[in-house]
Amino acid sequence: MSVEARVKKIIMDQLGVSEDAVKSDASFVEDLGADSLDLTELIMAMEEEFGVEIEDEQAQKILKVCDAVNFIESSAK
Amino acid sequence: MPFPSLSIGDLTAKLPIVQGGMGVGISLHRLAAAVAAEGGIGVIAGAMIGMREHDIAKDPQTANARALAAEIVKARALTDGVLGVNIMVVLTDFSNLVRTSIANRADVIFSGAGLPMELPKIFRTMCEEKKEDFKTKLVPIISSARAASILCKKWLLKADYLPDAFVLEGPKAGGHLGFKPEDLNDPEYSLDTVLPQVLDSLKPFEDKYGRAIPVIAAGGVYTGGDIHKYLTMGAAGVQMGTRFVATEECDADIRFKQAIVNAKEEDLTIIKSPVGMPGRAIRGRFLEALEEGKKNFKCVFHCVSTCDPETSPYCIAQALLNAMKGNLDRGFAFIGANGPRVDCITTVKELIHSLQVEYDAAVQAARA
Repeated sequence: MSVEARVKKIIMDQLGVSEDAVKSDASFVEDLGADSLDLTELIMAMEEEFGVEIEDEQAQKILKVCDAVNFIESSAK
Repeated sequence: MPFPSLSIGDLTAKLPIVQGGMGVGISLHRLAAAVAAEGGIGVIAGAMIGMREHDIAKDPQTANARALAAEIVKARALTDGVLGVNIMVVLTDFSNLVRTSIANRADVIFSGAGLPMELPKIFRTMCEEKKEDFKTKLVPIISSARAASILCKKWLLKADYLPDAFVLEGPKAGGHLGFKPEDLNDPEYSLDTVLPQVLDSLKPFEDKYGRAIPVIAAGGVYTGGDIHKYLTMGAAGVQMGTRFVATEECDADIRFKQAIVNAKEEDLTIIKSPVGMPGRAIRGRFLEALEEGKKNFKCVFHCVSTCDPETSPYCIAQALLNAMKGNLDRGFAFIGANGPRVDCITTVKELIHSLQVEYDAAVQAARA
């Protein structure tokens, strides 16, 4: 599975949203209805899945689905 | 029967009562020291504590840190009791105020209005830098079991630190609330419902790490009977705010205290605070005028990270400070849902005594 697909799967599981909703430019808060606790859990789930550490400062910049995918793709390199 | 004590790690308060931190300037050294002297935990509110310093506009970080340090020192000079500070996560000088509190040996740092993810890291860094094992206890303020377990996991992961305790603030609290406005009256989010959930969520961490994580219940706690109820449900203590406003020792102007005494049920309102959370407050001329639109104000310091001075309808730090100084036409008072029950101004000693009497009666009634 590609990084993008894995990230999207985590988002679907964590936020309880459908695959259709998880578009690249979807905003977690505005489009997918996430609150601050959801976002924190999402970041934690990605840290676990990909074995990376996401600093709070970086986490605050992850606002959309594509931000999450880009972050993971660039940190895996 | 005396109240049970409240232990947070190796720190013990004689009474299971925490005086909630109330900003701007409502709980400073005078109130905090009075509560601590009676055996509770007195709490100084850190939010924009330097608003009255001469250099607040020029050097806000220094002004706030200096004012906070001065309040801790003044309170400590008055009592050997347990003294805490309340530092909101959304404050832009959060880290600086946390460091100031630790350096001045605050016994406890309470931190809410957001998840205090960085708190244990700042603490660990301080200990390393100063080569000292500081004793300050770190206590997040939360509103759900989810937040409790997220914080335990994150703190362990990032700083190998388990929270020393939690304050669980339910929807009946005063000031900023960790709920959506539409959920405030939903029984699913009530303190009575959420408290057992939080206790359950902490159980695995307590078992694994072999130590207790006390939970302090808050939001609508009013009588000694309420204290008995929450202790019986498994809380280690309670936090109370509004009741301590109506005391002679409270640091606010008498007109602020009188506003609490005079408030009736219909005067309470839920505002949308520039901090980005709902808040329970007393309706008045200031809040009513806001319904007509934005006020012009000068932002002296971008104090709250979630506030955008460009779009915010008013400066909350200035409004709260005006109210604290007694000018309620140019500000407003936060209040808890049970605030309308307050009918007189008393002393901290008298208040604690009345809570003790009510607590005794509840203990007797439970035995009968």
